[in-house]
Amino acid sequence: MSPSVEYYCPCQASTPHPPQPNLASSSYSFHALHNLYFCEECDAIRCNHCVMVEVSGYYCPNCLFEVPSASVRAEKNRCARNCFMCPSCKNTLSVVPSDPPDNGDGRIPPTINAAGEPPFFLYCNHCRWDSAEVGITFEKPTGLAAQLQKFEDSAPESLEFERLKEHFEPYLPAASSALARDIPGVARYTPHALSRSRSGRDKNANRQEVPDYRARVEIGAVTTGYALGGGADPDVEFMRHLETVEEVSTLEQRWGNSWVTSPRSLDLKPLRIPLHSKKSKRCPSCRHILIKPEQKAQSVRYKIKLVAANYLPAITINLPHMQAALAMLRRSGRANAEPQDGTMLAGKTYPFHLSFTNPLYDPIQVRLHVQRALPPPHPNAPPEAEKTRRPPFAIMLPTQAFPIAAFAEAWEYDDDEDMFGVEEEDEDFDGARDPRGRSRTVGVLERRANVTVIGGEVMISKESRGDIKFNMLVSYTYRSDDPEPEEPGTPSRLQAQPKQPEMKTFSFYTVVDLGTIIVRDTSSVDMDS
Amino acid sequence: MDHPIYYPKSEYIETDTGNKVSRRATIAGPQNIILGGKTVIANGAIIRGDLRRTGPGHAVVISLGRYCLVGEGCIMRPPYKTYRGNFNYYPMKIGDHVHIGANTVVEAAQIGSHVEIGKNCVIGKFTIIKDCAKIADNTVIPPNTVIPALSLFAGSPGHFVEDMPESTQEMVEAMTKSYYSRFQPDPSSAAAQQR
Repeated sequence: MSPSVEYYCPCQASTPHPPQPNLASSSYSFHALHNLYFCEECDAIRCNHCVMVEVSGYYCPNCLFEVPSASVRAEKNRCARNCFMCPSCKNTLSVVPSDPPDNGDGRIPPTINAAGEPPFFLYCNHCRWDSAEVGITFEKPTGLAAQLQKFEDSAPESLEFERLKEHFEPYLPAASSALARDIPGVARYTPHALSRSRSGRDKNANRQEVPDYRARVEIGAVTTGYALGGGADPDVEFMRHLETVEEVSTLEQRWGNSWVTSPRSLDLKPLRIPLHSKKSKRCPSCRHILIKPEQKAQSVRYKIKLVAANYLPAITINLPHMQAALAMLRRSGRANAEPQDGTMLAGKTYPFHLSFTNPLYDPIQVRLHVQRALPPPHPNAPPEAEKTRRPPFAIMLPTQAFPIAAFAEAWEYDDDEDMFGVEEEDEDFDGARDPRGRSRTVGVLERRANVTVIGGEVMISKESRGDIKFNMLVSYTYRSDDPEPEEPGTPSRLQAQPKQPEMKTFSFYTVVDLGTIIVRDTSSVDMDS
Repeated sequence: MDHPIYYPKSEYIETDTGNKVSRRATIAGPQNIILGGKTVIANGAIIRGDLRRTGPGHAVVISLGRYCLVGEGCIMRPPYKTYRGNFNYYPMKIGDHVHIGANTVVEAAQIGSHVEIGKNCVIGKFTIIKDCAKIADNTVIPPNTVIPALSLFAGSPGHFVEDMPESTQEMVEAMTKSYYSRFQPDPSSAAAQQR
């Protein structure tokens, strides 16, 4: 696995400090930079676990039709055009005409109907399922969804559900207002609940008196055809006469159905394709919008897009000894790389490079701090506890702040493209091979454009094992008036106005994963030879 | 990251617009193929520009945008069908910043921009792939599938797995640009040839 750097979102914890990286649960709090958002108002990192998600539009993933939200409910969240899903493999079905009538002379008859010959049926290009085998054919190739939905809606369970909804409709506002009152926070998610509760108030007095509902469908008492899947005798009878496993539909094939359906795979019905949605995202604490997509379903642009990559320096990590090993392999022409050549052995010291890319239009000063931590004692391994409680490795990073130049417009860098491959790489490889390079491994190694590369070192103790993972606090200082000039009202700015270049500092935690320590016994021979 | 991917200089032809086409790739009907510039066609790729729509005149069969990669051993074949009794090939359009992994077979009608297609995939006939979509390795996309924008597809048959992050466009663009700049002739092999 290649070394990685992930960023911490503090939403899962009560403290601003991240959990120990060697805990398995910590992976839930660390994210790749491209998955994070940044709230300008709160000056904080937000992740997909903590943002509030709202649907900003629905569309069909197959015909890409944008469905107005009014008709989403009537069409039961599924596409009402000609999009169907294969019940056995979830692929999209296509409408195909029947074979043209055979004249007996072997020639293709002149096409009478441009669309083909009725009856039409649905056919799966992947698994060759077709709707004719479950007895569904159509006279016209259009408006199939309406015909299928009619069929869905006439199912006894569906009718029963509609009646249930009707029955409870008058009590719904009262119930939802009670929910909003009793459980704090619910009201935020159901904006209609409060406004509707006015009408519900009057009924509050007699809300206990919901009349009894009489079901029209009795469980198990439906016609025998539907009783399949109910878990009663017909099911047992069907299972007894099974010849192949394929006769039973899989759980996955029945999972998306609203009610219990027959377990026979021959009874699977084509499904209308479920709609997808475009989502906008809000900051959980100040409710400012972080992500707002454009209305058009297939547009990939956003009206508002506050992603962390535009605010925080991007950090990438590089192990020079691994690169050198790869280069050596390539030179020697050995195609299959031996993994020992690039991994880390216990009891050795390795340099690593962190490259920081500044996304801001102002230069920043960055300071790094490694969170020193002992691994927690293992309760079930007492003899080893003494050893593991010692930090398994030590990290050396430059302690002084280092600058990263401002991000300029992209075109300014275009010319550099060809340059940076050739010259610097040679330099890099020399450094990795040359033992004299050791003297300069910790500190700023290189500065170009808006990228600064710094070197660090990891010293691995002899008995250590496991992953080299450590938390690193990154603080950067920037001029605060330029990045957000459109917001003149913030209090911190007003009081700080006299001091001309107002500096602000933002800190965030990252976890750096350098890789796994190889215990040196077998591989030490390779290294010496 | 910044480490170059070297290739023997003699193995690739570089055009004025920066396209790099392997000498070991099979390019059939090159007059019907458009490359946008800075596009790499790797060893062993097969691009069937000869399968053109019947009829007179010039026809563009396959067009690729800028910063694309056709991986090693890929097959790019225009889709075909019999419509009203006439067999015909249909053009294939591919946008910018599209990477296609090794040994993938593509018969799509349209691929948007910033699309990543993994290794060993089969993209069926007349598939439409919208912008910023991603196809995982070893996926089989059946014919006539539509892949909406910003979605990840995987499996056989390929189906929707999850939404791609909002910053996909920037990430793919950076990735394809850095790939192109890293893809360089091997300086050591060039020196060896001069000697």
